[in-house]
Amino acid sequence: MGKATGFLEYARVENPYREELVRLRDFEELHTSQPAEVRQCQTARCMDCGVPFCQSDFGCPLHNLIPEWNDLLYRGQEREALNRLLMTAPFPEFTGRVCPALCEKACNLADDGVTNRDNELYLIETGLEKGWIRPRIPLARTRKRVAVVGSGPSGLAAADWLNQAGHAVTVIDRADRPGGLLMYGIPNMKLPKAIVDRRIRLMEAEGISFLLNTSAGPDLLEAYDAVLLCCGSRRPRSLNVPHQDAGGVHFAVDYLTAATRAVLSGSVSALSAHGKHVVVVGGGDTGNDCVGTALRQGCRSVTQLEMMPKAPDRRTAGNPWPEWPRVLRTDYGQLEASAVQGRDPRIYETTVQTIQTDSQNRITALQTVRLQRQTDGKLQPVQGSGQTLPCDLLLIAAGFIGCEAETLEHFSLSADSRGRLLPPDGSHHLGDSLFTAGDMHSGQSLVVRALADGRAAAREIHGFLKAEKNVF
Amino acid sequence: MNRLGGKSNSGEGGELPERFGTEFNSAIKQVASGRFGVTRDYLLSAQEIQIKMAQGAKPGEGGHLPGAKVTESVAKTRCSTPGISLISPPPHHDIYSIEDLAELIYDLKCVGEQAKITVKLVSSTGVGTIASGVAKAGAGGILISGGEGGTGAAPMSSVHHAGLPWEIGLAEAHQVLCRNRLRQKVTLETDGKLMTGHDVMVALLLGAEEFGFATAPLITLGCRMMRVCHLGTCPFGIATQNPELRKRFIGKPEYVERFMLFIAGQMRRIMAKLGARTVDELVGRSDLLKMKADAKLDLSDLIGFARNTHFFPDAKHDFHLSERTDVRLFQDHVHLMTTDRAFGTMLRGERHIQAQGCGGQSFGAFLPQGQQITLYGVANDYLGKGLSGGTLAVCPPVDSLWRQEDTLIGNVALYGATSGRAFIAGMAGERFAVRNSGAWAVVEGVGDHGCEYMTGGRVAVLGPVGDNFAAGMSGGIAWVLDEKDDLQDRMNPGHVQLYPVSQEDAQELKLLLQLHEQATGSKKARDILKRFDAYLPKFKAVISDEYLSYLKGA
Repeated sequence: MGKATGFLEYARVENPYREELVRLRDFEELHTSQPAEVRQCQTARCMDCGVPFCQSDFGCPLHNLIPEWNDLLYRGQEREALNRLLMTAPFPEFTGRVCPALCEKACNLADDGVTNRDNELYLIETGLEKGWIRPRIPLARTRKRVAVVGSGPSGLAAADWLNQAGHAVTVIDRADRPGGLLMYGIPNMKLPKAIVDRRIRLMEAEGISFLLNTSAGPDLLEAYDAVLLCCGSRRPRSLNVPHQDAGGVHFAVDYLTAATRAVLSGSVSALSAHGKHVVVVGGGDTGNDCVGTALRQGCRSVTQLEMMPKAPDRRTAGNPWPEWPRVLRTDYGQLEASAVQGRDPRIYETTVQTIQTDSQNRITALQTVRLQRQTDGKLQPVQGSGQTLPCDLLLIAAGFIGCEAETLEHFSLSADSRGRLLPPDGSHHLGDSLFTAGDMHSGQSLVVRALADGRAAAREIHGFLKAEKNVF
Repeated sequence: MNRLGGKSNSGEGGELPERFGTEFNSAIKQVASGRFGVTRDYLLSAQEIQIKMAQGAKPGEGGHLPGAKVTESVAKTRCSTPGISLISPPPHHDIYSIEDLAELIYDLKCVGEQAKITVKLVSSTGVGTIASGVAKAGAGGILISGGEGGTGAAPMSSVHHAGLPWEIGLAEAHQVLCRNRLRQKVTLETDGKLMTGHDVMVALLLGAEEFGFATAPLITLGCRMMRVCHLGTCPFGIATQNPELRKRFIGKPEYVERFMLFIAGQMRRIMAKLGARTVDELVGRSDLLKMKADAKLDLSDLIGFARNTHFFPDAKHDFHLSERTDVRLFQDHVHLMTTDRAFGTMLRGERHIQAQGCGGQSFGAFLPQGQQITLYGVANDYLGKGLSGGTLAVCPPVDSLWRQEDTLIGNVALYGATSGRAFIAGMAGERFAVRNSGAWAVVEGVGDHGCEYMTGGRVAVLGPVGDNFAAGMSGGIAWVLDEKDDLQDRMNPGHVQLYPVSQEDAQELKLLLQLHEQATGSKKARDILKRFDAYLPKFKAVISDEYLSYLKGA
């Protein structure tokens, strides 16, 4: 255990954000890091619980050995701590930045949990800086070849695991850069693309080949001993209103992809929000990313519409520890919007009713309507509560409803009613030598869940391949 | 538990006297090897007195309460000194055989006449034989404790590797007791990770009629199994004395009540399925248990013997207490024989008894304030056990051939004494004043292991001491007249060091010697008092490091 009384002596201190008005000037990383002394105080807060909920099913989906590496870090044994972390966590530099840290909410210190995510990030960045992270080239190779379709978190996690198991892994992606949503979904300020590239180069050095700008088809099943589909849940939920084809109406992922491309190429985004009134539909993480990106592009105003009522400030009785707390969260984009516009950009219990367009079928304004929850639990519009918002750019971040239809067609698959490819036995095996993992398998979720799912699928594939002849 | 009609257990640490007689009073009072806080009032407040022979999760190990956890209120409850570690000896120093256990049961019965005396045993093979002995020794109940329980302070190695499941011990105890026709004399209880109504039903069918819970109710009160009970840093304010942390405690008695009602509800449903109306008719009905078809162990010995026998009040052990000498004593003079065990324990009112002859075992055990017994003669083992304020004096008859070096009282005198005085004008046996936590005593020589595990009080030894003196002694002061200058070699230096007697202490010592001389007419004391200043440098004070720093601080 770190220090028996650490949690009493030190308060939780997170890695601070850069100041809003400063960080809005660029697309660079949001957080600053903190020195080793702070890390030692923060790890001292870990209590080495008899039952560590942080690594239970309520906490880390990867079941990271959090109390153990916290303790090692507290004792200054950074390298051992990093090795302990890497036993379960494939890409701490990603999760250390973008994970919502279920572990910290499941921590026995409850709403004051240990800063596991910052500790994790410190460990991996220290390891990279000191050269402890080197390509781990498998000592022996099997004769098996595996294709991983999609290079998002689950695909990369599976590829990494399978490669370490000795199989020859090829990652296929239709985009021009690997990383999936890590590359083009998450904006650069949250996860700098250099960090993603650094990991990809490391994986290439370990023997994984990346095949980019390539569409996958059923012919892969002939060429490889196993194929893992990690194509995500990319079909966005659209709004149930007319004129969605109007100019200036875009899905969030398309907008964010264009923005990241522009950052990477140093040009202006094709879908830039510069000088526009932006409305984002959807109050989730993606919506927030849109707010932050639009502000950085220099929008005139930004508003975020959320269907659900404003969440309470504290846990309600029906939402006890160690469950994920359903409380009001104000993310970086919303903080930035407040700093610029003087108010929180979110409007609750409201959705779009109609889209108003000009003669060239370009969006000019929105008609919104308030929603009210009925006794049967359904949200119904309230008559006469309409409001008009000026809008030149409407970004739809209303979630995803499953895997794209063309992928399913290619492999003659059918998804369930929630757009998932979930075999009835709960496994990742779709039949023959075809497997699936990540959001495609279990629906849209967190990066860390995708990593865990990718590794689980990799283990299944490994078992499947081992059962065949001529493994070595 | 009191609201529910159940019984709460104080544990070995004693209980605050403010709670006695209120709703907070624990019905079961435990008497463990440490005898912490075992005063007469404590025993009198109990419906049931439980002798803890060992703990299921860590059989054979003593406990250790770190000094940091001994706060004012803990020290008061345990009759010890704040800030000083408390060490429970692994064995009971007054129990080395089943007869000794019978003696302790008898002593406790003499104190708490109305209370049931139960004995906590640990599940093990052969526990049936032990249980039979305990039943014959007069216990009203037997607890078979399983190895699956244990607090967060129990060492991990013990939790994982020590102890056996309660099922094994319980089945054996029930079967052996039934076969020896002893089962109806006692109630049979089990504990050690009973978590559900189903667990309780299994215990019932294997032969238990009382059931103990600890972990599960703790969880209902907010315990999250941090395993830091011994560190005093429980973040949920349960196993801690830190007022800041105690504020975090969110438990309410209602939670425990509701949990226990759920247990009862589940039991009732299972009983309904079995077609049973009462718990009594299911005790020991192990024929209702079935082995799983794919069981990897053959458990047929556990369930192969079904007898529906349970406690029957008329079969209770008769202690013949009304025939005791001290109950029938109307004058203040009495002649004693060794069969007069625990003499004085049942005396009523403030009295000064002059006795002569040979005091039996546990002479003056748990003697309360206001009572004084002077014995002209000798006494057996366990003199002044658990002394609670009374005064005992033992001196050889004036006209006898008694010599100074002859042993006057037996072993293990003043074990677990909490207050009171004892004056022994002669040699004591081994383990004099073991686990003394507050009594003041004078003795003119002790055998081996004197003042072992002592935590408080004062002991003056005016003669030779045996080996291993003051082993594990964490509190109190022993003044030893070291005429041969060999005390340094005789004592156990683990916790204590020798010091000269300080000026204030010299006054206390002198007073104590004067009282000794008055009570016993001791020649030795008279000699010393005559030339006190000359004798004083020969006295050495034996004090533990912890206690010394406490005295300096105070």
